Amino acid sequence: MKNFIRNIFILLLLASCANEDYDPISYDNPEVTLNIPADFPDLNTFFYDNVPTKYGVELGEKLFKEKRLSTDNTISCSSCHMQENAFADHNAIGIGIEGRVGLRNTPPIQNLAFMQFYNWDGSKRQLETQPLVPIITHEEMDSSILEAIGKIATEEDYINLFYKAFGDEGITPEKIYNSIAQYEYTLISANSKYDKVKRNEGGTFTEKEEKGSIIFQQKCASCHGTELFTDQSFRNIGFPVNPNTDEAGRARVTGKNEDLYRFRVPTLRNIEYTAPYGSFGQFATLKEVLDYLDRGVLDADNLDPILKDNNNRIPLTEDEKESLISFLKTLSDVDFVSSEE
Amino acid sequence: MKNLKKYLLLSFISLGIISCSEDSIPVANEVTLEFNNTFGNNTIVLGDATSSEATVNTSVAGQTHHFSELKYIISNIRLINSEGVEFPYNVNNLDNGATIVDQSNPATLQYVLSNIPTTEYTQIKFGLGVKTALNTLDQVSFPNFYAQAEENDTEMMWEWGTGYRFTKIEGFYDTDNKKLSIHTGSTLDEDPNGGDDLVIGVDAYRDITLDLTTNAKVGSNAPKIVIKADFDKLLSGDNEIITLSSGTGMSNNATPNIHTAVQMTKFVNNIGGNSSTNTKGMFSIERVEN
Repeated sequence: MKNFIRNIFILLLLASCANEDYDPISYDNPEVTLNIPADFPDLNTFFYDNVPTKYGVELGEKLFKEKRLSTDNTISCSSCHMQENAFADHNAIGIGIEGRVGLRNTPPIQNLAFMQFYNWDGSKRQLETQPLVPIITHEEMDSSILEAIGKIATEEDYINLFYKAFGDEGITPEKIYNSIAQYEYTLISANSKYDKVKRNEGGTFTEKEEKGSIIFQQKCASCHGTELFTDQSFRNIGFPVNPNTDEAGRARVTGKNEDLYRFRVPTLRNIEYTAPYGSFGQFATLKEVLDYLDRGVLDADNLDPILKDNNNRIPLTEDEKESLISFLKTLSDVDFVSSEE
Repeated sequence: MKNLKKYLLLSFISLGIISCSEDSIPVANEVTLEFNNTFGNNTIVLGDATSSEATVNTSVAGQTHHFSELKYIISNIRLINSEGVEFPYNVNNLDNGATIVDQSNPATLQYVLSNIPTTEYTQIKFGLGVKTALNTLDQVSFPNFYAQAEENDTEMMWEWGTGYRFTKIEGFYDTDNKKLSIHTGSTLDEDPNGGDDLVIGVDAYRDITLDLTTNAKVGSNAPKIVIKADFDKLLSGDNEIITLSSGTGMSNNATPNIHTAVQMTKFVNNIGGNSSTNTKGMFSIERVEN
């Protein structure tokens, strides 16, 4: 096949003597080699339709940081998805242009290639379908895809990069969605102390971290399972309810009563960097989350059975909470949140 | 397509015969759809919470209510002639085949279908909402419809679901004028590989079929079909008798949970039918003017 293509190129080169428009420059745009962590779950199958390439990722990152995606050119994806916060931010609820407040806490962007559902309510299953949402949402960028394209379409840098990334001319919505997704696919975090200890790369847990790790297995891992520290299920765990009347949790998507106020179990990787916590930032600190679970959660018909069977609480002593938090901090990946990476 | 060809052939033949006579009948003409949005037989007048002008309705459950805003999308329009041949009107083109009916804007209450082939039509079909295949906020393919839906005073988009709002009803209920806000739209997410496993969400699109009370004779005439949309059905439908309640619980439906598809489906089934035993919902033919 490769030979065949090469022969065609040679033929084209020969033929090009007669064709002055022929552009002999062809870019090598290799696929990016991703370091897939050993025990991570399978890749989302949509990944294989949009495998990251060198220039696709470069373009995606440029677009991710492009403020002109917003209607008043003030915010980019990276305004809320900040690397030093594992691509989340410190606001309780996401804030868009003109200080408009959205519905939910900005989720971190990490290990998305291994996720089957995106957003708190799992409204998207394909990462490529997500970038349009913040671009058009009133409380986020409040623009449209054609407005955004119009702003960058004449810029040499972009014209070249779109060409290099996709091999043909023109800026299309699909190329924007695909390149941003390609960039996000490369954001893999698996180099925390936890990972290094697990891989026997030298470090060891402190006594407190070790203790926390055992408590975690007993009291947390049934939901925060797998190496992503989420089993990607949707659960109502009786957290305080978002007063915004648009909130219904997973039920907004599925239309099922039993999904009311169910949210996707969040990953705990880099949890140290993503405060506040909860679907609308109900909790300022990890300690507050654990205190709440210990005291007892709100009852609901569809409260998760694990809590229901335990008097609506996860009992924890102060010492256990401290140990747990120590363990959770071993999930911090300094390389991932440092921008020189 | 086959039917269309057959029909075209027929119409050419009949044209050949007809054209012998002096006054020639055009091969096509316009059909105007007019939407009369009512509570029972009263055309709805919109009004704010304390309006004395607004048309007030009382539901079967005994709740008074009136609207301050009333919008819905009509798409996928098809006319069927006496031989059962279906004439689809730009059904895959939202720019040329779909419209947003807005009770506050009289111009939107009439939708003109152009270039409808000459024949007698006996039935009309249309969609309340947008079928899933087109419900993607595709600004490139349908810039005009997108722009219409995006406008601030229209707001017929569900950004989070990257789809259109199919209906948007704002208003007030009970004697203390509590807020009522009912929005519908699809959250359907089809498996692109064609399987059923990964389909999640709700399809709020409803296909409506109405027999015309008088045949619409397109030709020398450009008929008008007046379609009544009786919003009394919203709360007092053939499918559900709904009692509005405000709050954040599972069963509350007036405003909170406006996006909760559980409650939304009941409203959709009332106004758009349940797509099996009821394919009329709130719609009926008021009259046909030839």
